[in-house]
Amino acid sequence: MQMSERAITRKPKLSLAQKRGLTGWAFLAVAAGLIIWMNFYPMVRGFYIALQSGVGANMQFAGDLNFRRLFADPQFRQTISTTFLYLVVQVPIMLLTALALASMLNNRNLKGRGIFRTAIFLPCTVGLVAYALVFRQMFAFDGLINTILINVGILETGHNWLGTAWSARLVIILGLLWRWTGFNMIFYLAGLQNIDRSIYEAARIDGANPFQQFWKITIPLLRPVILLTAIMSTNGTLQLLDESLNLTMGGPGITSRTMAHQIFATAFQGNPNIGYASAMAFVIFVMVAVLALLQMKVGDKR
Amino acid sequence: MKKFLAIVLSVLMLVALVACGATTTTETPPVEAETPAPTPAQTPDEDEEDDEPAGGTLTVWCWDPTFNIFAMEEAARIYAEMNPGFELNIVDMAWDDIQIALTTAATAGNLDVLPDIVLMQDNAFQMNVINFPELFLDLTNSGIPFNEFAAAKAGMSMVNGNNFGVPFDNGTTITALRTDVLEEAGYTMEDFENVTWNEFIELGRSVLAQTGMPLLATEAGGGDYIAFMLQSAGVSLFNADGSPNIADNAALIEAINVYLELVESGVVLEVNNWDEYIGSFVNGTVAGTIAGCWILGSVQSADDQAGNWGVMSIPRLDIPGGTNYSNWGGSSWAVTSNANAELAIDFLRHTFAGSTELYEVILPAAGALSTWAPAANSTVYAEPQPFFGGQAVFADIVRFSGNVPAITTGVFFYEARDAVGFAVVDILGGADIEQALQEAQDLLVFQIG
Repeated sequence: MQMSERAITRKPKLSLAQKRGLTGWAFLAVAAGLIIWMNFYPMVRGFYIALQSGVGANMQFAGDLNFRRLFADPQFRQTISTTFLYLVVQVPIMLLTALALASMLNNRNLKGRGIFRTAIFLPCTVGLVAYALVFRQMFAFDGLINTILINVGILETGHNWLGTAWSARLVIILGLLWRWTGFNMIFYLAGLQNIDRSIYEAARIDGANPFQQFWKITIPLLRPVILLTAIMSTNGTLQLLDESLNLTMGGPGITSRTMAHQIFATAFQGNPNIGYASAMAFVIFVMVAVLALLQMKVGDKR
Repeated sequence: MKKFLAIVLSVLMLVALVACGATTTTETPPVEAETPAPTPAQTPDEDEEDDEPAGGTLTVWCWDPTFNIFAMEEAARIYAEMNPGFELNIVDMAWDDIQIALTTAATAGNLDVLPDIVLMQDNAFQMNVINFPELFLDLTNSGIPFNEFAAAKAGMSMVNGNNFGVPFDNGTTITALRTDVLEEAGYTMEDFENVTWNEFIELGRSVLAQTGMPLLATEAGGGDYIAFMLQSAGVSLFNADGSPNIADNAALIEAINVYLELVESGVVLEVNNWDEYIGSFVNGTVAGTIAGCWILGSVQSADDQAGNWGVMSIPRLDIPGGTNYSNWGGSSWAVTSNANAELAIDFLRHTFAGSTELYEVILPAAGALSTWAPAANSTVYAEPQPFFGGQAVFADIVRFSGNVPAITTGVFFYEARDAVGFAVVDILGGADIEQALQEAQDLLVFQIG
């Protein structure tokens, strides 16, 4: 206190509030500068490249050519619908499963909670490419899954999981569920532990059954966490690349290819077209932003 | 942001690829062991005298340990004999990864990451040189005797009459079959000579019924099969003016029908990636394979099957112009603009473009069929090969290669092949052939325009 009073007397032009404000801005400036440099600048730059057309270092300004091209591109349309299929099927299943697991594992009387939590979270520590390759081996024509299904008697001959469009997509969704459910569960567990136990106690005294407790207490109090996981999952699914690239290689054909994989293929494979790929990336960026905004409008009741 | 991420990811991947790729350094004989070896990343100092570079290190990107990498190791050994102290740093990179690395380097304008020599698929050669002229050295006046290579092959790596690649292997297609399995079903290799695909499928059904083994396996979608079937009839996916020739292409429709028949009859087993494909015949899941003759390196990796293989030309499409000969793959060496040019050119001139000894070693071991004329006259070609039951397979393949119809492939070869591959997936899923091909044509027109 004394120090700052003396400081004020020496520099009377700055009030205490102003000084605190400036200190705050100084700290913020570093982070803000980094965000501008590493996030916003690439966004602007990406948009600039999206307005260009050409190969390698020979890029020319092309106006909205790439964006007009997008609307006529059957492959881009197909990858959008595939990605949204993953989004619509996988994200709700994953979040509900994660929520259910989290509330079960939040039970203090459950024996071996630590082991279960670890086991369910463990897939998140596996590298994306590594697990994609393991799934690819498991679902190969002569792989583990077919062998089991044939020996148990469910299938007579093996199903070509990765060679059929619907099952290739199914395998990707299964992979995503395995890899990310535990990740979301940890968020819910953290959220659940912030809910005061006395609220549940009061509810029980009032005669609320466990189901009512879950819907009337847990869900509303977890709303910010649910919102966070929903936005993160949506964002992650729309930018899905590793599974498409490594697990199914987008195949058969491009039936399981995601938007991000299509961008990658456009930018780096065959005759590369980085301008067009940037235009696609920009469209995904807008989609993610719009979806996140919608989710915030729906989910944030503060 | 995605663009930025894409670049960061690609750069990371590039670094990881270079770092993780199995690096094979071929050391010179132990005499040199005392001299501290220069690290692979360093470019050795230019030699004062211009004619004979002494020592030095070259870095090469190529794929396939049983074939290209093996050939490069042998070349390094031969070159080190005339140039003591020479070291070759071979980075094992899949072709797809090499293509991505080249694209990334060119797009980012960062050529420092490139090695001295890159192996490039012939089908991608002109595309890359035209797209990224700044990446490759024009070798026309380098002293490499391009007129000693088969003209059609050397033409694959030429742009505007200039040579950008030293031709390497020949990709003549062959049918390689297990003679012991055929015998079990009551057949010999001769039954597969000069057959049509329909006859081949009948033979295949019979073998499948009697032994339970499909004759062939291929990567699902069959893009490669359809490409070589088309070439065997002298038909391209492009017209002479470069426009797509997919819809209403009678040969293409016939090739797709043959492929569907192959899959539906069970004569071809569809697998989902290259490793599964190699495993299919090495592990004895299927009784043979059809591919470019470079596959013989992998075929011979199954020691337990020695003596039980035979090689024949491929079946033909039952249409006018159909032949039993085609081409699948083949690649050439490019020197990058980041190279120690003098050493790289000298190395290639004394090995792949000047050493009969090299080709005599890699031919029987890997099936690396030379496109360099002086080596093609070598007596090694006529020698019977014990792995193939004493058949002089290489003399036969050279004979096949002389009959392969030439076609134009052009810059958009991969896009065309993929478009047809996607159409085949749709057709296998029940779509109408003509409509699917029209869509493929539209897609290709869209991608070109």
